[in-house]
Amino acid sequence: MTGLHRISALMRTLFTVGMVAIAAAIAPGSSEAQTKGGELVFVQGSNPPSLDAMSTSSQASRNINMNIYETLYGFSEDVNPIPILAEGVEISDDGLTYVFTLRQGVKFHNGKEMTARDVKASLERYRKVGATANLLSPVKDIEITGDYEVTFHMEAATPTFLEAFSSPRAPAVIIPEEDADTEAGKNSFVGTGPYKFVEYVPDSHVTLERFDDYTADTRYEGMDGFGGKKTAWLDKVTFRIIPEPGAQVAALEAGEVHVLEQIPMPAARRLESNEDITLYENMPWAFTTFIMNLNVPPTDNVKFREAVQVAINMEEVMAISSEGLYQLNHRWQYPGSTYDPGDIGAEYYNLADVDRAKALLEEAGYNGEEFVILTDSNIPQHGKSAVVIAENLKAAGINAVINQVDWPTALNIRMQDEGWNGWTLQMGIEPFLGPVGLIATLTSPARPHFVKPDPELDALYQELISGTTVEARQETFKKIQQRMYELFAVVKVGDSGLMQAARSNVKGFKPYRYPRVNDLWIE
Amino acid sequence: MKAEADIADLSITEQAAAARRRRRVEFVKRLYGHRSFLVGSVILALFTLTAIFAGVLAPYGPTDINYRFILYPPSAEHWLGTDGFGRDILSRIVYGTRVSLRIGLMTVLFTGILGTLLGTLASYVNWLDGLIMRGLDGLMAFPGVLLAIALAAALGPSEINAVIALTVTFTPRTARIVRASVLVVKKMQFVEAAHAIGAGHGRIVFRYILANALSPLIVQLTFVFAVSIIAEAILSFLGVGPPPPAPSLGNIIADGRSYIQEAWWIAVFPGLVIMIGVLGLNLMGDGLRDVLDPRQRASLERG
Repeated sequence: MTGLHRISALMRTLFTVGMVAIAAAIAPGSSEAQTKGGELVFVQGSNPPSLDAMSTSSQASRNINMNIYETLYGFSEDVNPIPILAEGVEISDDGLTYVFTLRQGVKFHNGKEMTARDVKASLERYRKVGATANLLSPVKDIEITGDYEVTFHMEAATPTFLEAFSSPRAPAVIIPEEDADTEAGKNSFVGTGPYKFVEYVPDSHVTLERFDDYTADTRYEGMDGFGGKKTAWLDKVTFRIIPEPGAQVAALEAGEVHVLEQIPMPAARRLESNEDITLYENMPWAFTTFIMNLNVPPTDNVKFREAVQVAINMEEVMAISSEGLYQLNHRWQYPGSTYDPGDIGAEYYNLADVDRAKALLEEAGYNGEEFVILTDSNIPQHGKSAVVIAENLKAAGINAVINQVDWPTALNIRMQDEGWNGWTLQMGIEPFLGPVGLIATLTSPARPHFVKPDPELDALYQELISGTTVEARQETFKKIQQRMYELFAVVKVGDSGLMQAARSNVKGFKPYRYPRVNDLWIE
Repeated sequence: MKAEADIADLSITEQAAAARRRRRVEFVKRLYGHRSFLVGSVILALFTLTAIFAGVLAPYGPTDINYRFILYPPSAEHWLGTDGFGRDILSRIVYGTRVSLRIGLMTVLFTGILGTLLGTLASYVNWLDGLIMRGLDGLMAFPGVLLAIALAAALGPSEINAVIALTVTFTPRTARIVRASVLVVKKMQFVEAAHAIGAGHGRIVFRYILANALSPLIVQLTFVFAVSIIAEAILSFLGVGPPPPAPSLGNIIADGRSYIQEAWWIAVFPGLVIMIGVLGLNLMGDGLRDVLDPRQRASLERG
């Protein structure tokens, strides 16, 4: 059961349709002529918690913010760090100094030119308000060494620093010096991106407007991941908040809105043959995971957790929670990626072995204590996987109960050391970031998702971030994969996809980690 | 002489018992002669039987997942289709009637007890009247369902919390009705007579007042029953009713709302069941009101 598995011929067709659409959309220099002007409405399900890009790691914020702000370095289409606001970086042989040169002539939305002073001020603010501020912890100090040059002095050589620094999770964006002293969420939402902020009405919309003085990065042919040469065609972009998926689809069909961040699969199948609508498949998009709390019984017992691992029917959970858009994958990386650890742990995956689970429960001395599964109603995959997992566990004799709350409450409860045993989580951005970004959420110094740190995993994380070559880090990652299947703290259920949809007159849409509204036009 | 008197007493008691029996038979006759009561009670009986025999009637378990049959339309295997988990809608509805009836009954029971208690206290104990009724007015200032939603959300999603929320919501109106009818009965001569022969408060309240003031309450409680079935569906739909995977009718509808265009059967069938159930209860309530209300009865007889 280690191979990848796609659910049906229908899905294959859908996939092909998606790929054709993608191919058509990205064909460079195609005969399609871009048109300037117009307004685009993009729909997402939830409010952005903040439009201060540094202070939030929420996807709802990132969708909007990455069109407003830019970073020195960011990820390319194939997830390698590339310079965006930086001209380049020179790293000393001992890995202790990083000299970043800046692109000249880059304007902020307030008309001011970006200089080294803004960069230092932004990064100092990031240390204070950044949601992932510890990505700058290897940096001892930042020195302005020219109008367009900053130098980072490092605490110790950190080979994975540039990768971490490029992370869009809570991006270290560059903002004007004047905003440097503002508290989290209180900056003026001024950035250097192709679109500028106009207004935010919570529960309704965020409006952006084309930034006419945007200085395109001419080193690139076109857009590339978070960077590249971006061109803004649209006059205005509205990010509309519509929580109900059914209402989103209806609005798209009626032509009131142009792009949906996510379309439910049954609706996608129904609209497959609709000429006015184009589907875009993002596969893989997220890890579907089930996190256990190592701090409380019965999940403090490794035998019990192993029982959970072998009791779950991964295929059933994935088929239902993703509505059919998934691949089975036991790995803590996407298959075929640089750090793919191979078959390690596959023998524990997708077993749905009730007898074995029962034997393990007996060994663990389990006597029917409540197993509380924390989940939420806002992210459909969470609630659905909780229901299926609970049924799987009940079949094995575990007294599973579901505590379904809203998403902010779930985030609150899971930060408590007690009161929950299992938690369903879609890890979207973490696996995209590669092994360092992913494992950082499971190890100290951050609070690991499973509450009680595992010294062995912590040590492996340190080994990972100080590994000097890719090969060395690959070896470390195999050990991490091994450790994950000894600890059984988090069940890797599978990889799920994200189906997006747009009106067919929207051209240039290329699905990525955030909806890029640059290089997008309406015919 | 003594024996004679005993015999006379006996015959009087017998006569009274016979008269009571006659009245009761007449009442039941009139009740079932009333068409809407008949239809309503048949519906409620079907509902109740479904709930009791859910285990026999449902072709599948209410939480049995089958990922190979996700969103299947109605067919010979799944009469009312399946939902996003491949669960059989018919089975879920059949078990859902259990949840609805349980919540409805418990709400009726608690609302009845609390409403009677508060209403009687308010009308019988003068100095408590203002206190209790102003408190209840305060609760009634909130739109009914909104209060239930707020309470259920605050208490957390569970069946018993839904019952608590609905009880708090429906008690004020019930207490008002009880108070009003107790106020009328309390002024009647037979109550004064009871006072005069030295009956205690307990005896007066239970034997003379409540026994004669309960008709409007019974009618009111059938409506509480109907409304709490709807309210339970509303709470579950909003995610503050019994937590998943419990097959409550509201939960089933909520599961279906994202698929209304692709899988209409998930939301439509439980919706119909709620409609029929509530209709039945309302018809029954109408019938009860017609038969129990003496003024209406008089006008019916005259007409």
